[in-house]
Amino acid sequence: MATVEVRDLSKRFGKVEAVKNLSFDVEAGRVTGFLGPNGAGKSTTLRALLGLIHPTGGTATFAGKRYDELEHPSAAVGAVLEDASFHPGRSARNHLRVLATTGGHPPSRVDEVLESVGLSEAADRRVKGYSMGMKQRLGIAAALLGDPEVLLLDEPTNGLDPPGIAWMRGMVREQAAQGRAVLISSHLLAEVSQSVDDVVVIANGELRAQGTLEAVLGGDDEPETEVNAEDPHALAAALKKAGATVREEGGKLVVPGMTPGQVGAIAAKAQVTVLGLAPRARSLEQAFMALTAERRA
Amino acid sequence: MSALLKAELLKLRTTRTFAALIGSALALSLALLVLSGLLTDYNVAEDVRLLFAGDFTGIFILLLGAMGMSGEWRHRTITSAVLAAPDRLRLLAAKTLSYAVAGVVVSFLITGMLMLIGTIILSSRDQLTLGSTDLIDVMWRNLVVAAYLGAVGVLVGTIVRSQVGAIIGLIVWFLIVESALFGLAPDVAKFAPLNGAPGGIIDVSFDDGDTTLLAPGIAALVMLGWVTAMFAAGAALIRGRDLT
Repeated sequence: MATVEVRDLSKRFGKVEAVKNLSFDVEAGRVTGFLGPNGAGKSTTLRALLGLIHPTGGTATFAGKRYDELEHPSAAVGAVLEDASFHPGRSARNHLRVLATTGGHPPSRVDEVLESVGLSEAADRRVKGYSMGMKQRLGIAAALLGDPEVLLLDEPTNGLDPPGIAWMRGMVREQAAQGRAVLISSHLLAEVSQSVDDVVVIANGELRAQGTLEAVLGGDDEPETEVNAEDPHALAAALKKAGATVREEGGKLVVPGMTPGQVGAIAAKAQVTVLGLAPRARSLEQAFMALTAERRA
Repeated sequence: MSALLKAELLKLRTTRTFAALIGSALALSLALLVLSGLLTDYNVAEDVRLLFAGDFTGIFILLLGAMGMSGEWRHRTITSAVLAAPDRLRLLAAKTLSYAVAGVVVSFLITGMLMLIGTIILSSRDQLTLGSTDLIDVMWRNLVVAAYLGAVGVLVGTIVRSQVGAIIGLIVWFLIVESALFGLAPDVAKFAPLNGAPGGIIDVSFDDGDTTLLAPGIAALVMLGWVTAMFAAGAALIRGRDLT
C-alpha cells in the first residue's frame, strides 16, 4: 500500500468540476512533484487529502486512512498550504506552542523545529513583521512539528528568493532521504525539477501523466535529432524520401522520430556530407507544456 | 479534549487583544465601583449586592469570543486549527468551552477585586457591607453569566464568520434590540439571549417578586437552550463548510 493513495477523486464546486476522477500514489522516501498550471486542481486535491474540503467522489488516504481518521494527524502528515496563515499578533514560538499542545508534542519540539528552519532568533517576534520567506519557513516548522511520515507542500517556493528556493530544495531532499513521502505541488516545473523523483501531472482537474521525472518529462517517448549538413536541401529531400518529418531551425535540420544513427545512415546513402549530428532531448519545460496544453484546444 | 482545551486557552492568552479587552473590563468595572462606592450611600443589602454585580466581564468576553472565532476565518487560521484537530465538532466544543472557562476565571478575579475594594471603601465610609453568604451568591451569578456569554460569543463568531459583522451585530443586539424589546414586549424580552435570560441570573433582587425577569432556574435553562441551539447551528455550518 502506498503512503498516500488518491483514488478516483472528484470535486465539484457548483458548475465547476475542479478535480475529475484523479488517481495517483505517493511513495515513502521519494519526492513527488504534483505539477500543473494554475487552476489545474492541485490545491483542491491537497485540501481534499487533508479533509479540508469534502470530495464529491473517490477517496484520498494516508496508509489506507482518511486524514480525519488518523489517530495523531500531525504525527502522520505535515502540510504547508499555499495560503498558510498565522495570527499576525502572535509570535512564531507561540503559534508553534499552540500546535504542539493540540498535537500532544513535547514543548522542546518547538525549539527544535525553529532551529531546523533557521527561525530561532526571530521566534519571539510577532508574525506580522515576518517576510514571505520567513512565513514559509514557519509553515514548514509547523509541518515538521510532529515529525510526520508524509509532507504535503503546496507551492512552497511562492514568494521565496533564490536562497530560499535553494533552502527549500535541500530541505525537501533531506526529508525524503529520511524516509518521508513528500508531495510538492507547483505550477513552475523549473522550481521543482531539481528536487523531485516522481511527477504527477494534471491539467483541468484530470491526470495527464505520472511516473518518474525521466519517464514522464524526460523525452523518452520520441527521439529527435539535430543535423547540420553541407547541402541541407539534399539531406532534407533524402530524409523525407525515407519517411521522416523534417523542419529547419537556425540553419540546421531537426528530425523528430529518428536517432542520430538513422539520420547518419540516410545521409551516407544520399552522399551528403554531414557537418554535425546530435540527439536533441525535449526540454522538461517543453514536455510539461505539451502534457498540460495538448487537450485545451 | 483536554489538549485541545489547553491549546485554545493558550491561543487566547497569546494575543494582545485578550489583555486589552480584559484590562478594559477591569478598568470600567473598577471605575464604576469606586465612583458609586464613594458617592452613594449604601444602607440596604440589595444595593450593595448590585454594586458588586457590576462586573463587566460578560460583555467583554462576549466580544472576545466573537472576535476569537471570527478571527480564525479572518486570518485564515481556521485551516491550521482544523489540520491540527480534524474533528471540527471537538474543535468547536473546545473553543466554546475555553471562552466559557476564560469568562469564569476573569469574572472571578474581577468580581473578587470589586468585592475587596468595594468592601474597603464602604467600611471606610461606615456603610453597609455584605457577609460571605451574600458575597458567594453574587459571585456565582457573575461567573455563570460570564461563562455563558463567552460561549455565546464564540458561537456567534462561528455562525456569522465576518469579524466586523459579528461585533457590530452583537453590540447592536445587546444595546439596542434587546433594550427596545424590554420596552415593547417585556414578556418576550426576558427570554432574549444577551440581556434577557442572563438578567434573570444577575437579578440579585429576584426574591422581591420581580416578574420582568425569569427566575434563576428558568433563566439557566433558557440560556442552556440558547447555547445548545447556537452550538447546533455553528456545528452544522463548520462541519459542512469547505475550507478552500
